[in-house]
Amino acid sequence: MSNRSDTSSGARSRIEAESTDDPIYVESTVIMTTVRLVVPFIFTYGLFVMFHGADSAGGGFQGGVIVASTVLLVAFAFGIDATRRWIKGPLIRTAIATGGGVFILIGLGAVLIQGQFLEYAAYNVGTTGIKYGIELVELGIGAIVSGVLIGLFFTLAREDALTQESIDQRSSQEQHGGDHS
Amino acid sequence: MTPLQWGILASVLTLAVVVAAAAVLLYDVLNAIIAFATFSFGVAITWILFAAPDVALTEAAVGAGITTTLLLVTIARTVRQSGDRLLEEVNPRAAVTAILFAGLLATTVDNLPAVGSPQSPIATSSITSYYIENAYPETGVENAVTAVLAAYRGFDTLGEATVVIAAGLAVLVVLQQETYA
Repeated sequence: MSNRSDTSSGARSRIEAESTDDPIYVESTVIMTTVRLVVPFIFTYGLFVMFHGADSAGGGFQGGVIVASTVLLVAFAFGIDATRRWIKGPLIRTAIATGGGVFILIGLGAVLIQGQFLEYAAYNVGTTGIKYGIELVELGIGAIVSGVLIGLFFTLAREDALTQESIDQRSSQEQHGGDHS
Repeated sequence: MTPLQWGILASVLTLAVVVAAAAVLLYDVLNAIIAFATFSFGVAITWILFAAPDVALTEAAVGAGITTTLLLVTIARTVRQSGDRLLEEVNPRAAVTAILFAGLLATTVDNLPAVGSPQSPIATSSITSYYIENAYPETGVENAVTAVLAAYRGFDTLGEATVVIAAGLAVLVVLQQETYA
């Protein structure tokens, strides 16, 4: 545990204030350096795919997955617990809810001004306006997809994730009759 | 497609078939997951060669990226069967059934339109020509896929986004209950 802080870098100590007891995390300078170099570009590319989905290949679903993958990369390099402390739970839930809300509000807004549900033309802002409406919907989808994927990842890799030791402990407890559990 | 592209396609498809078989047959789940990620990568390149970059992006990001990570995190939580065996034992009846089913599907390949054929039902459909002619003037969006996804079929996409939210919430609720363990 103690030799971890010796090799820890600036970025790691910024993300992780206190030392972690993550049992499956192994620090690797190569992975940390690679991830720190690559993640800003992947994140920017993910946002590009989301924002520019109207004019080139891509859209909210693809961009959302790419954005989520940067969080997974950071988690692999700097530890899952450290990343979880960096991205708080409410943030993910808020992203999912906001994404769904934006989509539905754009649809309902058109109904309010005498249009049909999701009829962008009802906003009467020309084709450029329709395009921005579509972009907003794509951003909402991106927020939903990235939020759900990051949430799934963090839930699957919770602190109480079963390690081989805890499985051995559990099975030995069961052998001794699990009445004291 | 040029002969070079056909060559790449042939080798990528061969790779995809080999790694798909490996993913099924390999005994160690970790090896199977890596083979599965390679399969997704091969399929993504196939989509690029067939001029479907939207689908290729999704396949690469979801199939090769996120799914692999989620599967890896999942096997970190479960017991990995150890042993020196390389391959899974094959149930002969299941193998015969699978081969017969694949052969049945293969009989339909002859009736598919040729790749890029102008006579294929999709190319001659009036709906396709409507979208190609009207997607840009009506929505201002240069990517017709996005125009169909977010504008013409926006209500379907809202349903898709709802499915993502609902499925994500359902899985998160189940995983946090922990009653299956």
